[in-house]
Amino acid sequence: MDFDPNDDQRAFLDVLEQMATGPDAAWGHDPDWKRYQWSPALDATLDENGFFDCAAEPDLGPVAGALMVMRLAELPVLVEAAASTLLRPRLAPDLPRPVAVMTGDGPAPFLPVARSVLRLAPDGVSAAVLDLGDVAAAESLFAYPFGQVGTPGAGWQAVDADPDTARDLWRVALAAELAGVLKGGLGAVLEHVRSRRQFGRPLGSFQAVQHRLAGASARIEGGAWMALRAAETGDAADAAQALGWMQASATRIVYDLHQFMGAMGLTLEHPLHRWTYRARWLKSALGGAEANLSLAAARTWGA
Amino acid sequence: MDFNWTDDERRFRDRVRAFLHRELPSDWAEVARHGPGSAEQTAFSRDFCPRLAAEGLLVPHWPAEWGGQGRPTWEHFILGEEMWAAGEPRGAQYMNVNWIGPTLMRYGSAEQQARYIPAMAAGNAIWCQGFSEPEAGSDLASLRTKAVPDGGGYVIDGQKIWTSYAGLAETCFLLARVPGAGDGKAAIAIFLVPMDTPGIEVRSIPSLIGHGDIHEVFLTGVRVPASARLGAEGEGWSIISYALANERVGIPRYELSSRTLSRMAARLKDEGRFDDPVIRARAGSAAAACEAARMLTYRAVSMRAKGQPAGPEANIARVAVVEADHAVSEFGMDFLPGAYTAGGGNGGADDAAILAHHERAIVAGIAAGAAEIQLDLVARRHLDLPRGAA
Repeated sequence: MDFDPNDDQRAFLDVLEQMATGPDAAWGHDPDWKRYQWSPALDATLDENGFFDCAAEPDLGPVAGALMVMRLAELPVLVEAAASTLLRPRLAPDLPRPVAVMTGDGPAPFLPVARSVLRLAPDGVSAAVLDLGDVAAAESLFAYPFGQVGTPGAGWQAVDADPDTARDLWRVALAAELAGVLKGGLGAVLEHVRSRRQFGRPLGSFQAVQHRLAGASARIEGGAWMALRAAETGDAADAAQALGWMQASATRIVYDLHQFMGAMGLTLEHPLHRWTYRARWLKSALGGAEANLSLAAARTWGA
Repeated sequence: MDFNWTDDERRFRDRVRAFLHRELPSDWAEVARHGPGSAEQTAFSRDFCPRLAAEGLLVPHWPAEWGGQGRPTWEHFILGEEMWAAGEPRGAQYMNVNWIGPTLMRYGSAEQQARYIPAMAAGNAIWCQGFSEPEAGSDLASLRTKAVPDGGGYVIDGQKIWTSYAGLAETCFLLARVPGAGDGKAAIAIFLVPMDTPGIEVRSIPSLIGHGDIHEVFLTGVRVPASARLGAEGEGWSIISYALANERVGIPRYELSSRTLSRMAARLKDEGRFDDPVIRARAGSAAAACEAARMLTYRAVSMRAKGQPAGPEANIARVAVVEADHAVSEFGMDFLPGAYTAGGGNGGADDAAILAHHERAIVAGIAAGAAEIQLDLVARRHLDLPRGAA
């Protein structure tokens, strides 16, 4: 057991950190008050430098990929990382990115900005390269660019992959993204409660606030390690358990984060919604907490 | 990062399991039913620990000069997982192995080391920890028991409460306040006190957590020599901090919880009830809580194995461990209530194991300081939140 990154992973994370703290990753409200802030500049920089291929590098591996997904999900801006980093190298390395993922027929995140789409149906995996006009943008409360695709002009191509394995890779990616999103929201709220004073004291000095945020931190970190372990082992029960745990934890954490941000968290001038409305979509993914925890139980003890 | 056991670690775990399989009697579930502090389990530990010592499995992580083999931190931890999951056949002696022995090695006088450590390494020493008092539970530093210097020694007066193992212990690791040595933590000193010293009276408190596990200890004019003091008078609190840091990740409770949950799931499958989506989701949720606790604990152990201080990491792990213990216990009560009532379960070893787990689980958030203290520490040390108003 070693919970520290290896030297290559550390070097990789150091460079990633420079990008994650650079100007293309910083919060700024959208001129049209959109609920998300797509950062094509950060996405392009990461892409040009090969970051999205890290999971396929023997010295970095899926653990580095999951760490990268988490770190980028902490940002108030949006890049498409989960599918590109943890699905694409295993399922269809030649797909142009950004890559959207559909698990049903309805609207899905990232479609309006994606250049390809992976469809993870229970009976098979397929992919399509997207052309202009394939995707209709869809308004959504969730903090992603949502869109809907009918039949892509280029048509669907079957991907030679086991559909259950593909969904488990996606579960790990979603768990990592949800852990990162909640960590990002927690970070913003911590900053707020350290400085915001009420009743003559910082809000963060009240035990009622401290204990709930400490509990949130324990749940997020536990889930983050479970996601990293699932990324490394590729174990089906680990994958369902990591996602189910993060999804089950998200409801309470999202509530607390908004409570402690008060009215500021209800405005579009503060980025809290960027994290909580990604978390709210992520906690519904692949059937939500109960479905994934039930699946994990069936995989552990047999149905 | 690497979340796998090495071959050596696997072999070590197999060796511990084989030993337990060989040495635990067929009625062990009944013996273990009443808790590590019970008369039954204490008596068993006096026979079991010497055998464990002879096998080199009692204190393998201790240095060779104290009867150990200097084995790695992870092996010590695997040993703890297997022992706790087996119902802790070491009884109270797990404390010696985990923290009393190492604390004496670091802070004890040569005389104290020679007197106490060999007996611990041989598996024949029962200790109790005289920490909590009626007015000092989680707020340990407010303890009132006094040790008044007198004729080259001390006279100790006061009361301890909720003391595990006191009824059968030979020695107490006792905290007391030395008047005139300063205020608060600065005045606390530690004394290693034989329990047969005149003036010590022990009363068992009936409890929810096993037979004879909780006691009151009354100390009236208890006279001890200066050589019974561990460390200097003002050093008590830093010694306790060292000892408690060892204790905090000391009990890998999630391992027993995880295995008990597997027993519960197997029982529900036998009864044809595991298809119920509600039951399955709740089982998955309790299992995930155990794994979250496991991963956070392993992270703290991983740091310790590298000689890094695991402060906030150990605090956060303990929060998760408490949650996991309760998740499994409540799962059992919700879906297998029969196991908690005579005649309602299957009457086998499963019932005893499920009952024993419950009694251990409800202690998790209280023993070694309330879990809320851990939340306070996580908030301050890990989340960098300002200290609350006094």
